[in-house]
Parts: sequence; C-alpha cells; structure tokens
Amino acid sequence: MHESLLEFRKRFYLWAALLLVAVSVAAYWYHDPQEPPNGGTTLGYILGTVGALLILWLAWFGVRKRSYASTLGTVQGWLSAHIYLGLALIVVVLLHAGFQFGWNVHTLAFVLMTLVILSGVFGVIVYLRYPERMSRNRGGAPRSELIDELEEIDRRSLRVAESLGADFHEFVSSGVQRTQLGATLWERFRGRDSSQVLVRRNNGETEFISNPGQEAALDWLAEQQSMSGDAETVAAISELSALIRNKRKLLRQLGADLKLQATLEIWLYVHVPLSVALIGALLVHVVTVFIYW
Amino acid sequence: MRILIQFITTKVAGGVERSDKIIDAPAITIGRATDQILQLRDRRVRLQHARIEPKNGGFHIVSTSLAGVSVNGRSQRDADLSPGDVIEVGSNILRVIEAPEGADFAISFELRDDAAGEHLEPSWTTPKSGLSGWSMRRISWTLLAVVFVFAFVLPATALLHPTLAKFVRGSSLMPDDSLWRAGPLHNAHSSTAAECEVCHVNAFERVTDVACMECHEASRHVAGETSPVIGETRCASCHREHNEPAELVNRHQDLCADCHTALPDDIDLQPAGDFLDAHPDFRVSLNLPIPPGQGETEWNIEHIKLTDALTANRSNLKFDHKVHVAEEGILTPDGKRAIECAECHIPEPGGAKMLPVTMDEHCSSCHTLSFDPDDPTRVVPHGDPAGVVQALVEYYSARLLGEDLDAVEQRVRRPGRALTREDRDRAAAEAREQALAVATDLFERQACNNCHEVSRRDDGELPWHVEPVKLSNDFFPHSDFSHAAHDTEVTSCGSCHNAQQSESSEDLLIPDIDGCRECHGSGFASRNNAQQIPSACILCHSFHYDTKGVYGGDLP
Repeated sequence: MHESLLEFRKRFYLWAALLLVAVSVAAYWYHDPQEPPNGGTTLGYILGTVGALLILWLAWFGVRKRSYASTLGTVQGWLSAHIYLGLALIVVVLLHAGFQFGWNVHTLAFVLMTLVILSGVFGVIVYLRYPERMSRNRGGAPRSELIDELEEIDRRSLRVAESLGADFHEFVSSGVQRTQLGATLWERFRGRDSSQVLVRRNNGETEFISNPGQEAALDWLAEQQSMSGDAETVAAISELSALIRNKRKLLRQLGADLKLQATLEIWLYVHVPLSVALIGALLVHVVTVFIYW
Repeated sequence: MRILIQFITTKVAGGVERSDKIIDAPAITIGRATDQILQLRDRRVRLQHARIEPKNGGFHIVSTSLAGVSVNGRSQRDADLSPGDVIEVGSNILRVIEAPEGADFAISFELRDDAAGEHLEPSWTTPKSGLSGWSMRRISWTLLAVVFVFAFVLPATALLHPTLAKFVRGSSLMPDDSLWRAGPLHNAHSSTAAECEVCHVNAFERVTDVACMECHEASRHVAGETSPVIGETRCASCHREHNEPAELVNRHQDLCADCHTALPDDIDLQPAGDFLDAHPDFRVSLNLPIPPGQGETEWNIEHIKLTDALTANRSNLKFDHKVHVAEEGILTPDGKRAIECAECHIPEPGGAKMLPVTMDEHCSSCHTLSFDPDDPTRVVPHGDPAGVVQALVEYYSARLLGEDLDAVEQRVRRPGRALTREDRDRAAAEAREQALAVATDLFERQACNNCHEVSRRDDGELPWHVEPVKLSNDFFPHSDFSHAAHDTEVTSCGSCHNAQQSESSEDLLIPDIDGCRECHGSGFASRNNAQQIPSACILCHSFHYDTKGVYGGDLP
C-alpha cells in the first residue's frame, strides 16, 4: 500500500516536530534571561545548539539517501523526518535569535536557512503533485510510449516523403534528426523547443531553420502545397502535414512532460547549494560570535 | 455485433495456418493492452490504439493515437472501411474481408515474427543534467566560497593588524567586522564605534572588567571589591551590549532579590524581596535634636521605623499645617486666603526633591518681624537673637539720642543746660530699657515663640535661648524618589501627605509602604493586576554608587 511521505508511520515525525516546537516555545515563554532574549542567554545557547545540530543532521540526509546499503532507518522515514523537523527548525532558530535581526552574518545564516526551507517546501509540494500531473499529461502511458509513437509518426512521414521526392525526404529526415526538446535542465524547465529543419528555398538554396513546435515545417509544407498543381502531390503533402501536426501535438505533450520532470529536479539546485552555503554561514556565525565574545 | 477474426500465421518452416474466431462485441478494440480484443505486441502501438465500430450502416476505424493508422497506405486518424481495405497499425496488417454468413464484420490478421518492426536511428538521448552547464556541486562550492570570503575572511583581516583594520573598516566596499555584530551598539558606547577591540581585547575571550574600568568607575556591588557576595561576576554579565531593545542596565528584580532575600548573617541589612509582599517596612532618616543639656543643641540622624516615627519628627519648629492650608483661609498681607502647598514647597530643578523652606523666602511675608507700630517696615533680623537685642538697642538709642533729640531733651535735660555725660547715660539706659521691653515682647509673646521654642535663661549674655531648627529634608536617602514622577492627573499633594489634619510639626507626613503599594506592585508584571505599576528594586534603589563620571570625570 502506497503511503504518502507526509503520512509516514502515522505522522510520527510530525508529532516529534510539534513536540520540539512546543518545548522550545514553552521554554522561551518561561525563561526570564534578565535581558532581551538573544542567542547569548542560557536558553539561547541551548536552542542554538539544537538548531545547529538539526541543520547538520538535516544536511546529512543528502548522504543517507545515497547510502543504499545503510540500514539506519528507511530513506522514506528519513525524508519524512527531514521535512517535519526542517519546518520545526524555523521556530527553534527564531527563538534562539530572540527575533533579533540585522545586517550581519548571523542574519545571513538565518536568511539562507529560510531560503533552504522554503525551497524544500516547494520540493515537497512538487513531489506530492507532479508525478500525478505527469502521468495525467501522458494519459497514463510511460514516456517511452510517447517516444515510440513519435517514432511511428516519423517512420510514416518518411514513407510519405519518399513518394514526394528527394527534397521532401531531406526535409522530413532532417526534421526527424533535429527534433530537440530541452538539452539542459534549465531549457527543459523553461519548456524550450530548439528543433530545426532543413528546407530548400525556391532559388535552390538549402538552409536549417529554427522549427519550434514544428511550425516552420508546417509553413514550408503549406507553401509547397500551394505551389503544387498535381492532385496526387497535394494529397500526399496534406497527409504529411497531418502527420506533422500530430507530431506537434505529441511534442507538446512530451515538452510538458519534460518540463514537469525538470521542475521536480530543479528546486534541488536551489535547495542543495544553499544548504551548503548555510553550513558555511553557520560555521562563520558560531566562530565570529566567539571571536568577539 | 458479431465479428469474425481470421488469424493467419506464417510458419517459419513454410506454409500458412488459418484460425477463425467469432466474438460478440460492440466494437473491435485494437491495442497493446491485455483487455483489447486484438492485442498487438508492438511497442509502437498504444495500449488502446484504435477501435472499429459500426457507423451509418457501414464500419469505421478511429485511432486514439496521434500516430494514427494507415488505411490503404494513407495515414489517418479515422476512416470508413469496406471489404478489401488494408489497415496498418504499427507494423501489423489487418485486412477487411467480406463478412461470411452469420457475421456482421470480418477481418483477417497476419501475425508476423518481426513485430517490433523497422527502426529509425534513435534520436532520443538521455537529457543532460546540470543548470546551463553548472553542476550542483559547482554551484554549491561557489556559494560556499562567496559566503566564507565575504562573511569571514575579509572581515577577519581587521584582526591581523591595526593598519589592515583601519583600511578594511574605512573602505566602503570591503566587508568589515561590523558584519559580525550580533546587534546594534548602545548609544552610550557609540564613541568606540567600529573599533571592536576597545572592549573585545582578545579574540575568543569574554569582555573583561578591565576594559570597562578604562572609562567607568563605580562602587558598591563591584566584583571582588566591596562585596564578597558578588564574587566573580563580570560587568558584562549584567550590562549586556548588542541587544535589541538596547538596554545596558539590567532592571531585573532577581538581580537584587537573589541575594537580598537571604543575606549572610554578617551583613546588617533587613531581608528584602518583592515590593508587593517581601519589602521590609519603610525606615525614615530623621534629623533629630539630642535633648539639650547645657550649651549648644546637637543633631543626630536616626533611621527609625516609619510607623514609630509618625509623631517624632522633632525639628524644634512649631508649625501647624492644618491652620496654614485650611480651606477657609488664613490672614495674609493680601487678605484672608487659602495657601497652596506649592507656595512654600518648591521642587528643586529636575523636580525630584523639594527645596528647603526658609523664613526669608516662605514665612516672612506674613510673619514680619516688625516691632514698632509707628514704623511697620522696621524689622529685626531673623536667626540671630543677640542681633535682635542689639538692633533694638540701636534703634531706641538713635530715637532717644539722635532722630528725636528734642523730645528727649524735654525729658532728660534741665532747661538752660547742655546735655551732660550723665544725661547721655541716662538716655542710653532708657533706650536699653525700652529695647529689652520690646525684645521681651518679641521673644516671649509676639514673634519668636510663635514658631520657636524660646526659653528664659539667666546664665547667658542674653536672657533668652531659642532652640535651633533643623528640618529633615531627605527622609529616604537610599531611594530615588522623585516628586516630578508622581505629579500625575490622579495625584495631588494630599494623596500622600495628610497636611490638612496635621496640627503639629512633629507629625511625619510621609506615606508608609501601604501608601506606595496603592499604585506600586510586584517587580514581576505577572503578579500585578492591571492597575499596579511593575516595581522592581531598581525603580527606587540604585545598584551601584557612581563615584566618578564617565572617563573618570567628576560627577555633577
């Protein structure tokens, strides 16, 4: 039975995180430090230590999820704890700081931590929603099936093109070979279609033109169709156009699929590097606080 | 409808095998899924790829796949079918044949071994990871380096050498160690501004008292010195910098109460805790005359429990507040009117305490020391009994010997004779006699004894002794009471000082602790009701005594 990572073990880690928050808030409420609450009081040191250890432990998730042989809890359990305790961290750290902020390295660490947590929240949302959206977009079929279907269209297009002569064959096969959706993660995330196609102009020159969404190919075919008088050719071009329109539709579906998947990956490019920067800022925070004790 | 499907299998060994299957179904479903009537094992065929169904008396094929089907060599998404049509689905071939008797529709299906069909060169490659050429690792290391250099390495150069510190802190572009401040510097310390090392002398070492004592001096409760109770506590344990809200003085009650609720036996102080219920009764400091023996009156400051001192405020002054502030008024040079408290009790600059009340400024306009009804502007000096007698003697001598000589002559000189030595002595004796008579009247009946204790004395030069007056002016020298702070809309002098009912100057018109508690509550707001003012020890008492101003300067 599939269990959402938020529901893991009857939300055990949610309750653990709420307990941590409740204990921290209660301690903050009852602690009377004889000065404005800050990281330098007894409770400030305790909450700061808890916060720093939590940050290091949360970051350790990046290691644990790659340790396939590890039997120290399941990765699902670690992720569930990672999410809930990561959210609790904000409260612990705010109380540690006594809600004091400034233009300094200490607030820098807080800002980085907040960005890491916010990107993590984004990650949880897309992990929970996007797989289903991807599946719906593909109509329940795996992506390979869409690609097979694309190949089938290409194969048929080539067969039709063969009957139309060398120019058309060149046109279709170049279009097939230069169909490209998102080479890099960023392009996939932006939904960029950098396809090209080779067309022969009326003056005999050939050139590769940009062909996003197969629009340029369809334009060229329409042009050829209008110049052709032969009914059989017109029918064949129209068949080819219909195939490429279908390909366009399929490419949109594939592009959406790639974009959804890229979104699933790209937030980690914020989450992980900022986590690393956060650990650096945390170290600077702790060291500088004690340099000028 | 009844459907006949004819399966044609070409044997590898040669020869063709046919098998017919008749089914009843509303349509022929074609696809890769197991629930399809015609299941095709071809990855180019979708799970539900197409369906053949009756339409307008004939039959019709519809494809759900974008790749569609090919009918008689033409790629199509839907088409009408008639016997003889060839349908291609992926690499599979279906032929529509004449439906035999008992069937509505018939197709033949050729099973082929190379069902996967021909293949184009794969144009699909694994997508590259990384964000426009930046791997996650590279982004991480770069960010880490930026944080480390700008937040630590560059500011830390200020620690290496004073010249570097000056350069780093002076440059507007370079990040300096002000980035390390946990909070703003208190205004009082703004002169040290960016020079962290003025207080933080050594790295990784707490701020020492030595650094504080460079500029400040204090006594009482100073670590290790006057009070063994304080012990090792540092200045900075209580005086916390870099906090918001910036407050260098710790006003917390526990700061005092931790020790003062149970002091060691060798410290002669009453235990004191929360003002609400653990503060000892007030003690007042009174300047009291030691009962006069012979000679000068001596004064002694005594700390007396306020409840024991209510009628013991001896100052040797006779004064009746009740008469002076009576609502019906009192006779003054301006006529009969009520006197306001503030006519005599004038706050000192700053408004904390009251200036001393003096005869000259506050009493003399009514209590004139005149003695001659014929000359009401002529007065005797105040505060100098011998001077009074002397002034009177001089006045009457002058009257008898100078100003009014003719009148004197009438009485002391025989007609036709010059004023002799004897005459003069007689005139002087008469003047002195008259002066003493007036003085007796002044000291014993008319003026002095209204306010002063006057006694007759035979041994001294003067026949009268006036007890000197000393008014107690600082009843609570160990608390910082401010009249100005208590001048509110809801309070008047009478709220605390019951002058209207006081007929004797020995009445102590100071409110007791219960009077204060009408407004002042516990040092902990949580123990108070909404009307009570949180009153920690520091509200009235001070922790240190300043002995010197900042930078060792004199205190004002």
